[in-house]
Order: sequence, then structure tokens, then C-alpha cells
Amino acid sequence: MPVTVETPIEKWNGKVREVTLGATQAEGGTRTSTVTVGGSATLPFLHFEGSVPHRPVIAIQIQDVDPQDWSPALRAAWGDTTKDVVAWAKKAAELGPDLIALNLRSAHPDAGNRGADEVAQTVKSVLGAVGLPLIVYGPGVAEKDNDVLVRVAEVTAGERLAIGLCEQGNYRTIVAACLANGHIAIARAPIDVNIQKQINILINDMGLPLDRILMDPTTGALGYGLEYSYSVLERLRLSSLQGDGMTQMPTICTVGEEAWRAKESKVSEGVPEAWGNYAERGVIWETITATTQLQAGADIVVLRHPKAVGLIRKTIDLMMAQ
Amino acid sequence: MSKFIATAAIKGARAIVAQAEDEVKKAIEKYGTDQRVAFTNTAYYLPTIYGLTGNKIETLGDMLPTIEHCKALVPEVPSDRLWLPYLGNALDAGMATLFAEELIEGVRSIGAASGTWPEKAPWGQYNGSIDDIQLRSWGIQLVDGRMPGFAAIVGTAKSTEVAVKIVRELQARGILIFLSAKSEGRDGKKSITDQLMEAGVELGYDTFTVPFGSDTISAVHALGFATRAALTFGGVKAGQAEDILLYNKYRSMAFVLALGEVDELKYATAAGAVSYGFPTIADTAIPNIYPNGLTIYEAVVSMPFDEIPGENDLERAEKLVQRCIEVRGLRIKVTKIPIPVAYGSAFEGERVRKDQLRVEFGGKRSQCFEYLRTVDSESIEDGKITLEGPDLDEVPDGAALNLAIVVDVAGRKMEKDFEPVLERQIHHFINGAEGIQHIGQRDIAWVRIAKSSTDKGFRIKHLGEILRARMLGEFGAIIQKVQVRLYTDPARVEEMLKVARQAYHERNVRLADMTDESVDTFYSCTLCQSFAPTHVCVVSPERLGLCGAYNWLDCKASYEINPSGPNKPIAKGRLIDPVKGIWEGSNEFVYNNSQRAIENVTLYSIMESPMTACGCFECIVMIIPEANGVMVVSREDSSMTPAGMTFSTLAGMAGGGLQTPGVMGVGKYYLTSKKFISAEGGMKRIVWMSSFLKESMPEELKAAAEREGDPELIDKIADERSVTTVEELLAWLEEKGHPALTMDPLF
Repeated sequence: MPVTVETPIEKWNGKVREVTLGATQAEGGTRTSTVTVGGSATLPFLHFEGSVPHRPVIAIQIQDVDPQDWSPALRAAWGDTTKDVVAWAKKAAELGPDLIALNLRSAHPDAGNRGADEVAQTVKSVLGAVGLPLIVYGPGVAEKDNDVLVRVAEVTAGERLAIGLCEQGNYRTIVAACLANGHIAIARAPIDVNIQKQINILINDMGLPLDRILMDPTTGALGYGLEYSYSVLERLRLSSLQGDGMTQMPTICTVGEEAWRAKESKVSEGVPEAWGNYAERGVIWETITATTQLQAGADIVVLRHPKAVGLIRKTIDLMMAQ
Repeated sequence: MSKFIATAAIKGARAIVAQAEDEVKKAIEKYGTDQRVAFTNTAYYLPTIYGLTGNKIETLGDMLPTIEHCKALVPEVPSDRLWLPYLGNALDAGMATLFAEELIEGVRSIGAASGTWPEKAPWGQYNGSIDDIQLRSWGIQLVDGRMPGFAAIVGTAKSTEVAVKIVRELQARGILIFLSAKSEGRDGKKSITDQLMEAGVELGYDTFTVPFGSDTISAVHALGFATRAALTFGGVKAGQAEDILLYNKYRSMAFVLALGEVDELKYATAAGAVSYGFPTIADTAIPNIYPNGLTIYEAVVSMPFDEIPGENDLERAEKLVQRCIEVRGLRIKVTKIPIPVAYGSAFEGERVRKDQLRVEFGGKRSQCFEYLRTVDSESIEDGKITLEGPDLDEVPDGAALNLAIVVDVAGRKMEKDFEPVLERQIHHFINGAEGIQHIGQRDIAWVRIAKSSTDKGFRIKHLGEILRARMLGEFGAIIQKVQVRLYTDPARVEEMLKVARQAYHERNVRLADMTDESVDTFYSCTLCQSFAPTHVCVVSPERLGLCGAYNWLDCKASYEINPSGPNKPIAKGRLIDPVKGIWEGSNEFVYNNSQRAIENVTLYSIMESPMTACGCFECIVMIIPEANGVMVVSREDSSMTPAGMTFSTLAGMAGGGLQTPGVMGVGKYYLTSKKFISAEGGMKRIVWMSSFLKESMPEELKAAAEREGDPELIDKIADERSVTTVEELLAWLEEKGHPALTMDPLF
């Protein structure tokens, strides 16, 4: 006997805010294209329930110093290009991502401690080499972040970069630099909805418009807190759909960095044989982490392995097909 | 606004507008309308005019419409018979003045090509306007808070010595300094810049001191700087005058310090600055203007220099600067604590053992206490740290000394009720220093100082340095001044201890007297939502947070200090049920902040919609149906309870944001509140309680039992030492004649 089941439809009164990364020449930058994320009026991929105007996007993460501490599997996939950040950026762009995420690791005191001017020039040359919008991360040491990112923001004024990380203990200087030079701030909270909301409010209080803030609620990789970050992403999305203006920013998840930090994606010896080939295992680790985050509400996933990029693009294609 | 000031400002404006018109016309005659005018390295044209009107002035010819605009703005000088308020007129005059001054500086800028602008002086050359690169660099520091604000000093100080002191005091606080003008009649017609140069003070971008020029006209560059800051950092467009002014009122913590006689042009320029929300503090006798909406606090404050209380001129200068900071509400940060040992959270858990001990205060061998109080802003000198009695290097190794730590604070938003909240942080603050150990609070404080620290030069006054720096850093939103008095002299310690104990007593009484009925606002705490997403603590005067760490006053202070933090006010709203403790406001807040999971919450009942818990509760209250009462298990008690479960098993039922009637996680002092499950009959329902609780707060429990009309109650309550099963419990209760047995049935 045929049974008719009516799909339950939730009526939401809020939606995720749209944020556009990158600026073309007409808009005051030099990008050949821009990327808009957010805008969803429903939970991820529930096309039958509400509008999902923009697909989630992929950023490929590169860095300005050869990442010798990266998993051999990752290093093998990129080959020699990792030695030259411009070549690396070009090769990454060939894989067809939506964005490039440039990590300014060379400014870290343990990785060369390069100065702000030199690093800012690196960003300029990456901008010169690829036309995609750029995400720029500082070295992750508050004092150096502030020094370097301010300079980067200045020399790239008008490019509408996404710049991070703004955290509870250190955000004001980076936000000020974004304010003055037309960039987007990435607000990171430690897997905590309330702190995320608080940092969003604090950044907005400084005068940065809400459509120039991205949220990074911190990603936990598979086996390393994935369920926590799933829950936080989901709660942020629910709260934005319920109309809380201070959690409606699109989310960005640093999947590659976290997944490739896991022992399972680095170690080839001393582990059960059933774990299989570790290079493949790492890609799977990254892919599973990314798909889970996308299902929870990630708008931007930052990936490292070329194969993961392909797999995730395919996943997004399928999830967006109606 | 004072009629006197309004009249003077309007007169000043009329004169300067006429002067501007004259100078522009003469320049046009000489150079033609196409002559370019521009300040050095700026993309903002003449910035005040560009920002506030949108007019881009690039040539002398472009200036003509602005002159007409100025003339239209300047009102008539009020007649003697007119007594209406003059605020609007004076402000228009102020704006016209700034435009006219900027036009004149614009005309002067033609001289840049021949090297005659910026203005030359016997000691070299003034700076003129600030270039855009410097604006961005300082702008970021002003926006991110590294620079608390900027001071526009106008005039001449009483003496060279005073000039230097003022600038040093401002520099020490990281405040940016702009210098212009001179005052006739003070110090032989020198400008403040001349005075500083004479004293060999290094001026320039590197030392955060910019000399604009020797006349009042050049002071306009301070407003040009402020205007560009709004355009750069405020997301405002040229021509949006109101937005630019409001940006500066709330975000550019600037003020004008007028030294020496205030003439008409200075009044007119100050009127322009007031529109930006920048108050003027004058060191001469002029009328005061109290808050009027344009500035956050006072608009004009007169502090005649020779009348400032102080030993000498240097002290007077210091107080003048402090007053400026107060009037504008600057938030000062001490970036590096000036002590000879390392400081950081890494040292917080450190112990100073007997063999390392240099000196100890408190503990068994001596008396140590700490007391923080609010004092009148006039009677406190920020940064003053005094010691009465012997210091660390004057006593033998391992000595025990008495110590009184008295912290005086003042601030616009400080409330007496916040004193205990700030005082409790002393423990945490002092512990951060390397080789210093702090235990306890109030008059049971105990401080131990290691030999290694005194060897590095640590002395008692450094405790004061730590407290000042941390207090301003953490509580800068509510306090602006901190002064620390330290006493080791036994007689003085004894004397101060009496004062402190009186205050402790008053605080206890105040807290005890506060009832839920006496306030109209409760506070929320959502600090734990990271792991219990649907839990909301509702903290009322008679029910503290379940972790025991946050009472109503703590939450109130936390909200004042950090409005976007985890504690928010909850307006009680309509009372739904006085017995169970249900209000419309608390229900609504909990519903909206629990992901809509909890619709109804009572403050005084365990049986109906009890408050949820995260997991941090100090104890768990659970009903024992057989005994018609409740048991209370403390976190410290790992033994079996009459409910057949241990604390850790029970915790799963009580926590996680679940609402389980009959089970509740609470702070232990809630047990002694008269609102403790008052819907079910209150404290007399307690039939069993972990012995830890009985021992950790015997006085409080005894007092509560007396209040409940059963002074022997605590002895009638069983604990794990005598009772671990329901059967044993019932026998115990019968034997002791516990009141719960005869109370109304719980179900």
C-alpha cells in the first residue's frame, strides 16, 4: 500500500549573512574573480526547505616556507613546488579551488622570524601570481601576528582579503588593520558558541561591519574532537536561522591543518596493518573531516591534499545538485 | 552653555573667519585661483573641511565656497539682553572656526615649496599636519587600545619645568600629544613647544609628540587628524558630518588641555573640539560646562593651576593630567608591570617552601590582610604606592611580618558593591609574580616571598605595582585610578585592620540584607554553555551560582566590566508565582538562551521545573521519598549515599542542562538561604548531608537553622559517618525527631 509522507518543513526567520571575499579591479582590488559565501536560509543542503544561494567553497592552504614538518604524504603530493610559495600558489590554483589560504609561517620566531615588510612582499607576489581571492593567516604568535598582518593589510588595501586569526585575547590590532584597509576579519573561538558570539560582538563593536567577519569555531579532526566541532557548527547555524544576528556570519574550517596533524595521517610504522596505506589514510582523514564539517554548516573548508580537494568538490557538487 | 563662553567663541569665530577671507583673497591676488594647496602626504585634501562637508579643496579657488559657508555658519554676537541658551550658535561658530583655521593653514601650505611651511622656529621647524602613513600607524594603536587617546595641548605652561612634567606624565601613559599655540603673559611669550625644546625634550613622531605650530590656528591639525581617523577606521564617507563627530565622541579618546589664558580664538576652537566630543580642561579660571550630551562627561573643566592642591608645581602638573584622563574617561593600560621578577600565569601555582622563604606575612606567625575600597576621585593619586614600616631587606631571613594591603580605587562606573569582587582578585594578581605565593583573602591572607625574588630586588612596594597594573588592565572599564598603601608597621597594621574589619562586616550585612524582592534584576550566567549548551544559571541575591564562584554582585560587576560576556541582566518582569519563584523575565531569558529547550524554571523549588545545572555544582540535592525530605551530597564526598548512588553517579542526573524534578545541582551557600527550596518547606527538608558541608560552614548552617526556628536542626541531619542506607536514615530521623517526618508530603 503506498504511503504518502509529508516532508516536515521548518520555517526559519533568519539566515546566514553573505560575505564576499576578494575585490576585482572595478571594486578596488586586483582579483580576477570574487567568491560569495553564506546566505543559507536552512540547514546545510536542505534545498527542499529553504534557499541555499551559494555553495560551500574550498580553499587550498599553502605556506611561505617549505613545510618540512608536514606529513610525507602531503609533501609527496606537492613535490618541489612547496619550496617556492609563488609556484605553489600557481599549482594550487590549477586544481580549481575557490580560494587560496596563505599561511605566513615564515614570520614565526621558530621558522625564520621574517619581518613584516618581507612577508608583506610575499603576499603581494602571491596576489600577483594568482587571481583568486586570498585568505591570509599570521604565524599564530600574537605579537608577530599584529606586526605582520598590519603591514600585509596595508600593502594589500582594497583586496578584501580574509585575515586571521582574531581571538579573544588578541583581536583589536588585526581588526583595526581590517577596518583601515577594507579587509575581512576571521574570528576564532575555542569550540565554544558563546565565546564565538562574544568575539563577533567585540569585533563588530570596533566598527567592522558584520558582512566583513567570518567565524572560525575551531575544527577538531576525526578522532580529535570532530563531534564537538560538528555540534558547535550546528548550533551556530541553528542560532543564525533563529535570527541571532551575532552568529550569522559564514563559517570557515581549517580542516587540512587539523586532519594532517592527527597521528593517523602521519604515521606509517608501528600501527596495525589493517590501517592500510598511510598516504591514502591521510586523504581519507581529511576528506571525512571536511564532509562532516560541511554537513554541519561549514561555508569554507581549508584543505591541504590535492586528492582531498577533488573528493570534496565532488561531494559539494552532489550535495548541491537538486 | 555659559553665555560668557558662547559670546567669546562667537567673537573669536567672527574674527578668524574674517582673517581667513582676507588671507585667501590676498593669496589669490598673488598666486591666482589655480594655485595648488595641500598638506603634506595626505589623500584627504584639507581634512576637516573634506570630512565634514565633502568639499575637496585642491586650489585657492576651491576655498571660496567654504569661506561663504563659514560666513553663513557664524552667528551674530549675542546682545547683552539676550539670555537664551547659546549651545547651537556656539557650536556653529566652532565649526566655522575650524574651517577658517584650516583654510589659513592651507594658504600657508603654499610655502612648503619654498621651505617656509611648516613654520620655522629658533630651534628648528614645526611639524605642521600629520601625514597619512603616520595617521594609519597611530590610528591602529588608538583603535586597538595600545594608545589610550590623544591630548591636544594649546598654550604655554606655567613654567618649563611644568611643561616637561605634563608631557612626561602623558607619555608615561602612552597618550599621543599634539602641541600648538602659546599664551600671552606666561613664560615670556614662549609656546609650549618652545618650552619643551628649551628643556631638551625630544619631540617628533618617535616620541609621540607632534608640534603643529606656534599659534592657535595650527591646533586645527588635531581635528584634521581626528576627522581622518573616522574616515579611515570608522567606515564613514566624507560629508557624513554627524557620523564623523559621533565616531570621535565614542572612539577617539581625545581632549584639549588649554594652558594659560584662554582668548577668544581658543574658545572658538574649543567649541569646535566640543562638537567632536573632545572636552577642554583649562589650567586657568574659566566657567565650567557640565555634561550636555556632546561630550561623554564634562565639556569644559577649569582647574586653575595655582589652586590645585599639591606640594609643588610638579605635583600640581601630575594632578592636572590625572584630571584630564578622568574628564575624558581614558582607559589606561600598563603593558609591562614594573617589577624585577617575571610575571605570568605560569607562576600562579608556585609554592614558596620553608628553605626558600625570605619573609612571610600572615599564616600562623603574623597578621596579613587586604582591603580594597572606593574613594573619592579627588583624594586619590593614580600610581602612588606607599609603604609604612620595614621593607623586605630590613628583616632577617625567614621573618614573619604583619602586612596591610590597602588598595584605593576610583572610577566613574565604580560602585561600592564591586569592592569585594575586585578585592578577591588580589589573590590571583599577586600570585602571578615569580617567587611570591598568596593564599586566602580578607584578614586570612597569607603571603610568602622567596629569597630568589628579594635577591632580584623585589620589595614590598612591588606588590602595589602589580595590583595597580592588573586592576587597571582587568577593570579599566570601571576604574581609572589605583593607589596602594602598604603597612608593615605593627601599630598601623592594627589601626587599618579595624577599618577593614568594619568594612568586611558591613559587606556581610549588606549581602545578608539583600533579598530577591529588593532588586528588579537578576543575572544570567552562561559561562558553561560550551559543554552544557542548554544550561542557564539564573543568579539572584538569594541564590548564588551553582558553582559557588558567582553571586549576584559578581555577576553584576562582571556585566559592567564586560557587557558582551557571559553574565547578562535579566529583568524579573511580572511575578508569576512568589512561592516557587517564577517570573516572566527569567522564564523568557532561559527559554531564549537554552536553545529553547527549557520553557519554565523555578528559583525556589526542586519538585517543579527546577533550575538546570551544567556540571560544576558544589553539591547535589536529591529527594529521598521515604524520608519525606532531601539529601545533600557534596563534591568532596565520594562515599555511598542513602539514595544508593555516589556523587559521581548522581552528577549525571543533575548536570548536562537537564531538568529533572527531584534532583538539583547547587552552590553550597544556597543551602543556608531562606529561599533554599522554600517552595517545599526550606532547610528543614534536609535529612542527610555530607559531613564535609557541616564542617566547612558550621557557623552559617547554625545561623540558618536558628532562623528556621529549629536551632538543633543540624544535629538532627544524618551524614555518611552514621547513615548510608534509607533504612538507617529512617531510624535516625525517628530517633532524632527530625521535622521532615511531620511536614506536608512531598508528593
